[in-house]
Amino acid sequence: MATPLEITSRVEGDQTAILSLAGELDVSNVAEAREAARKLLDDGCSRLVVDLASVTYTDSSGLGMLVGLLKRLRESGGAMAIAAPVPRVRRVLEITGLTQIFALCDDVAAALKEVRG
Amino acid sequence: MKLAAPGRVELRIPRRAEFVRLARMTACTLAAQLDFTYDVMKDIELAVAEACTNAVEHVADESCDEVLVRFIVDGQQLVVEVVDHGQGFDPAAADEGAVGEGRIGGLGLLVIREVMDEVEITCDPETGTCVRMIKHRTRV
Repeated sequence: MATPLEITSRVEGDQTAILSLAGELDVSNVAEAREAARKLLDDGCSRLVVDLASVTYTDSSGLGMLVGLLKRLRESGGAMAIAAPVPRVRRVLEITGLTQIFALCDDVAAALKEVRG
Repeated sequence: MKLAAPGRVELRIPRRAEFVRLARMTACTLAAQLDFTYDVMKDIELAVAEACTNAVEHVADESCDEVLVRFIVDGQQLVVEVVDHGQGFDPAAADEGAVGEGRIGGLGLLVIREVMDEVEITCDPETGTCVRMIKHRTRV
């Protein structure tokens, strides 16, 4: 049984989507999160906010997914921001140097502003 | 209740993604018995997860169906060994790997090296691949 992870999403009217994850993100459930995000992009969203406020744990599996999404969005001229990572998640981002690659925002509202430029 | 030292705990898990969490939980439970801070305990959990994930994701040998996670405690340190019997990998090459979806080996090893005090990776056709990680029990 995979580690429990709650995935919800909301699409706004301007090709902007918010993907909210809650729980622990690891190798057992990262495919579900990746699939949910890909569906949003396949449906035409070019701006993506990943809300990590309720993610209490991630490892490099989760980071790999986030990097993959960022790469796809950048290649297609889109934008992505990460909202409200908790200190433990932020630490993993810092360890790997990914804080310099991702737009990290304090909350979803700030992340929406970031992706909308 | 404190774990008597020296001590040893061994966990054998199926080489499947859903069992990595079991190794993580064991690492946390054990680290909580020692004198590590909460943040260090979570770092140890992360390192164990990365080593197990590496075994799950990057061992191509289908006959390798088990991962051994061994915790060895003494007064000075916690040693964690994650052993699989699949084909080994070149840790130097993994470190140089590009960060990206589907290619997380290098990233995982980077995390392990950042959060643990000592890391040694050995690959042997007879004994398999062993990621050996040490965290010193430095009192704050």
